Parts: sequence; structure tokens; C-alpha cells
Amino acid sequence: MSSSFEADLTLSRPYLTRKQITRAQKNTVSDLRSYSQKKLVIIKYLSDMCVQLKLPRKTLETSIYYYERYHLFNCFETELIYLLATSCLVLSCKQTETLKKMNDICQVSYKVRKINTVTLDMMETFKKRICQSELRILEACSFDYRVNNFLHTDEYIVKIGKKMGFERRICHLAWLIGYDILKSDILLIVPPHSIAIAVLKISFELFKNHCSENMNWFDVKYSDFETTAKLVNEAYFEIINFYINSFDICDLSSNVPKDYPHIGIESFIKLKQKAGRQKGSIEVSNDDIERDLYLTNMRSMNVRERRYVLSAKLVVDEFTSIRDSSSA
Amino acid sequence: MSESNYSKEKKVGEGTYAVVYLGKQISTGNEIAVKEIKTSEFKDGLDMSAIREVKYLQELDHPNVINLIDIFMAYDNLNLVLEFLPTDLEVVIKDKNILFTPADIKSWMLMTLRGVYHVHRNFILHRDLKPNNLLISPEGLIKVADFGLARAVPGPREMLTSNVVTRWYRAPELLFGAKHYTYAVDVWSIGVIFAELMLRIPYLPGQDDMNQMEVTFRALGTPTDKDWPEVSSFAGYNKLQIYPPPSRDELRKRFIAATESALTLMENMLMMNPQTRWDTIQCLESEYFKELPAPTDPAEINIFAQKA
Repeated sequence: MSSSFEADLTLSRPYLTRKQITRAQKNTVSDLRSYSQKKLVIIKYLSDMCVQLKLPRKTLETSIYYYERYHLFNCFETELIYLLATSCLVLSCKQTETLKKMNDICQVSYKVRKINTVTLDMMETFKKRICQSELRILEACSFDYRVNNFLHTDEYIVKIGKKMGFERRICHLAWLIGYDILKSDILLIVPPHSIAIAVLKISFELFKNHCSENMNWFDVKYSDFETTAKLVNEAYFEIINFYINSFDICDLSSNVPKDYPHIGIESFIKLKQKAGRQKGSIEVSNDDIERDLYLTNMRSMNVRERRYVLSAKLVVDEFTSIRDSSSA
Repeated sequence: MSESNYSKEKKVGEGTYAVVYLGKQISTGNEIAVKEIKTSEFKDGLDMSAIREVKYLQELDHPNVINLIDIFMAYDNLNLVLEFLPTDLEVVIKDKNILFTPADIKSWMLMTLRGVYHVHRNFILHRDLKPNNLLISPEGLIKVADFGLARAVPGPREMLTSNVVTRWYRAPELLFGAKHYTYAVDVWSIGVIFAELMLRIPYLPGQDDMNQMEVTFRALGTPTDKDWPEVSSFAGYNKLQIYPPPSRDELRKRFIAATESALTLMENMLMMNPQTRWDTIQCLESEYFKELPAPTDPAEINIFAQKA
């Protein structure tokens, strides 16, 4: 009863470079400006939802990753963003083991959006459509549940900060920065533990001139934390650039306690000047990007069998076996 | 683009959230199992068990843990491709035509503990170990399967549900309704499985949740504050009948074929206090695995019905 038809085989690539993201968005986002504006609205919406539902930062972070990831491979449609974001939150609750009933999430969603008259029909349709989007979101992530499973930026800021022996205020400031960066694209580029280290580095440097900390940042061995200087640098510059370019949309200045050093846009410009040119970027060449079907091809949901694997070896083995059998 | 790689040939089972088919991996000719997740029938969307199953199997790669080969979407259904495992320990225990020796039991225990040790060192609790979830490969290897109830080890302030693990294999802390528990719940289950392998009947077959406590404590003694500090602060403790723990002699009489070190291992896996219960490392390093008989080579264990 075996059948033969066309199928897609996709190797999971949970993190992409800045240029790769731009290339993928070329297919899905026609108006980048509107996408960015709406993203801020959605992050506000998801943050409000998480506060109302008493969900931790990791659930918020995961839902934002899903939202951004979805739009790398699926068209951005302004009228669907709330539905999609809610679906991302539902999924993220499951992924991070912070379960909430779908009904509760939907009710809070209406409340947060200040929609007061909700009929039973509306609710049912909303729930149904949330379920329909779930699998689409997971497909955009290649069903790679390793991402956002054990690692979450906020938790690792605390853990790594403690391991490095930083004082509480440095970790707290890093944790505040950790919220702002959800608005950048960094979640798509670098894994959370590397982001956590970069954020700690920034917080450490912002404090450095104001306290008697003896420790030098460069004593930190990145391999102890299963990351590399390249990745941490990538996150470091991405975040600094984000603050320099978008300081006015950040929540940092309104949340930093009074006894902390003053932090303004100039603080980040200064950090950038001190750091010099960005070394060891993870970026790839334009040619390679244009040759990369993963980014240039729109996903077709019409392919009957769409397979997702995590192991590169499986893809290579299968490629070799198909090539051998067709040449035989 | 490639050709379709999997065929579904025969439906072999249906659970609450999935239908299981036997099939072939066309590129290699290997037999595989395809678990088709039912997606639309749950009011809260994609079922949590399906998510957990994939989430944890993706983290694990070990000869004694079932291998998740691939995931695919077809006709808008989610399918998991798993290695094909023809039988399980429950079938083997129940089939009275199959004879097995203490060395075979040792081999199964060793493989189970190795698999669960790997699960634990990846910070995952299985939470549903029972003979039915210990599958056996054509080569005789035990594979820990069904991660539908598994979860990552929680942070210190996270609450867990105690409504996990099939009743007969449920550790005392779960019976008491604990909201915080550890890897020790899995070790307890393996201890009960060990006893069942030796007895060839379920060791603690409670009829309902209340009766499970009764059965468990009658067999192994009611825990007291002396060996499990503050156990009496669990709600419902006061209603319990206090049974003394069994003496070594009583255990010897119940488990006639067991050696002293087999009993020691079992006793320590079935320790009431989860703090003092052995972890998988202590179990694996126990005398039982060092003494003769040596565990049977898995490929040599004949689990297909023999004429007695």
C-alpha cells in the first residue's frame, strides 16, 4: 500500500542571521514599517496578557519567538495579528509547562483588547481558529521543541549572573534589559543563554564606572556556558544597536531604580565606541543567501507530505540514498 | 524535494490522542511505527501529551530510550515516526508460555535503569513508568517509551500535579498528593516493576486511589515521621492504618527466588522517604548487578512464546 508522491524534507534551523531574516521576510512582509509597528503593539498585548494571567517572562519570550518565527515563512496580515499572537501564547503555555485553559486565555484576550460584548459564537470561532494556527506556528519552527525548552533568557540571566558572582543590581538591570530586547529580532538570531550573557555584559559595563567591582569581564570563559565569543558578540552588538536606534520605544529608562547609574541613549553610544568594530560576525554572504531555498522559497502548504528533521545526518543519508537509487 | 518516505501499512493501536500504524521507511526498508496525532478533537488545541512526547524525545538519544526518527505533516495531520518495537514487558510478563530467568530479569532491569538514568540526567521526569511502557526491540533491547506525561524538572517554586503515573506504580509521595517531587517517583515505579518481574503478577494492585495506599502500606509498611520527617503533615495521613514494614524474612518468603542483593536493591528503590530512596546511579552501582548470574545478553533472551 506504499504510495509515492512529492514531499518536502526540512532540516530545522532554529536561528538565522540578520541578513537571512531580511531575505525570508522579503517573501512574507510587504511593508516592514507596518510589521515593526504592529510587532510593538503585539508585544504590549502579549505582555498585558501575561500580567493578567500571571505567566512568567519565559512564556512571554517563547510566544514572541513563535510570533516572529511564524512571519518568516507565512505572510504578515494585519487583521490576523491578535488571533495569531493569542495562538502563539496558547502554544507557549504548553511549551513552557505554564498551562492555562484556552477559555481563560480567550477571555483575558477580549478583556485586554477592551472588547466587552463577547457572544458564545465569537468565543467558539476564536478558539477554533487558535487551534488551526497552532500547527502552522509549529511548522514555522520545524517542530523543533528543543528551542525554548530548557533555556530562557531571564532564568539564565539569574543563573549565570549568580555563577559569575555579580551583585544583585547588575542582574536586576540585565533582567530589565532582557525585557526590552524582546522587541528586537535577537530571539531569532541567538539562543537565550548567549543573549543572557550579552545582556549581563552590557549591564556590567553600564555599572562598571559606578561601582568598585574588581572583576574584569574578559575573565569570562564562554565555553563554560556552552557558547562562543562570536555568538555573545553578535547579541551584544545587536542589543546595543537596538537601543541606539530605538531608545524611545524602550521601557528601560522608566523602570531603572533611582539609585542606579543614569542610563540614556548616550550610554549605549559610549559602549559602542568603546567596543570598537564588531569582530567575528556570524553573517553569511549574499550569494549563499540567494542560493538558500530555505529562505527564498515560499512554503507551500500544498505539498502533501512535509517532513521535519533535526539531524543533518538524516538529510544527507537520505539524499545519498535517493541519488544512488536514481543513478543505479 | 524527495519521495514520500513512509508508508502506513497496518493500524496497531489507538490511544486518546493518537492512532498508531506500522509501516516502512521506504528509503531504507526498515520497519517503523507512525503515530498520527489527532489534532482537531481537543478543545484546548494540540494535545499536551503530543507536545510532551515530541519535546522530550527530541532531547534524548540513547539505546534504551525509544528513538523519534522524524516528524511530518500530511493532510494537515501531525505524524511522529518512531522506531518499530514489536512487544513490551507487560506482554512478556503476562504470557505464561514465556519462561524467563533471574539473569533475564537482571538484563531488563539494567537496560531500564540505564534508559531512565539517561532521562534523568537530561533533567526530565518520565512520570509514567510501567511494564506496558517498556518496549522491546527485535534485538531484545528495552526502550523506555511514552513520554506523554513527562516534564522537565521544575524550578523550586513551580507546582506539579500529583495525578501522574499509573496507579499501581505510583510512589507514596504521589499518593499523599505532593506538589513537589523528584526523580524518585520514577525509581519507585521501577522498583514495583522489578517486584512484578520476580512475582509475575502485579505487586501493588490497588483498586482505587484510597485502596492503593492501603495495598502499598500493607506490603511495605506505613511511613512514619521517624524515617520520613513530616510525612504526617500530609492531609489524610491521620486516617491511615499503621502497618509495620516487612522484615527481611517476610520479603524472602514473598520473593523466593531473589538473592539478598536483589532484595536490597528492591528495598532501596521502594524506600518510603523519597529523600533516602536510591537514585538511578546508586541502583546501577548496586551489588545486584555485580554478582552472578551476569545479566543475559539482550539478543539471547527468548521472549517469543515457548512451549512449556
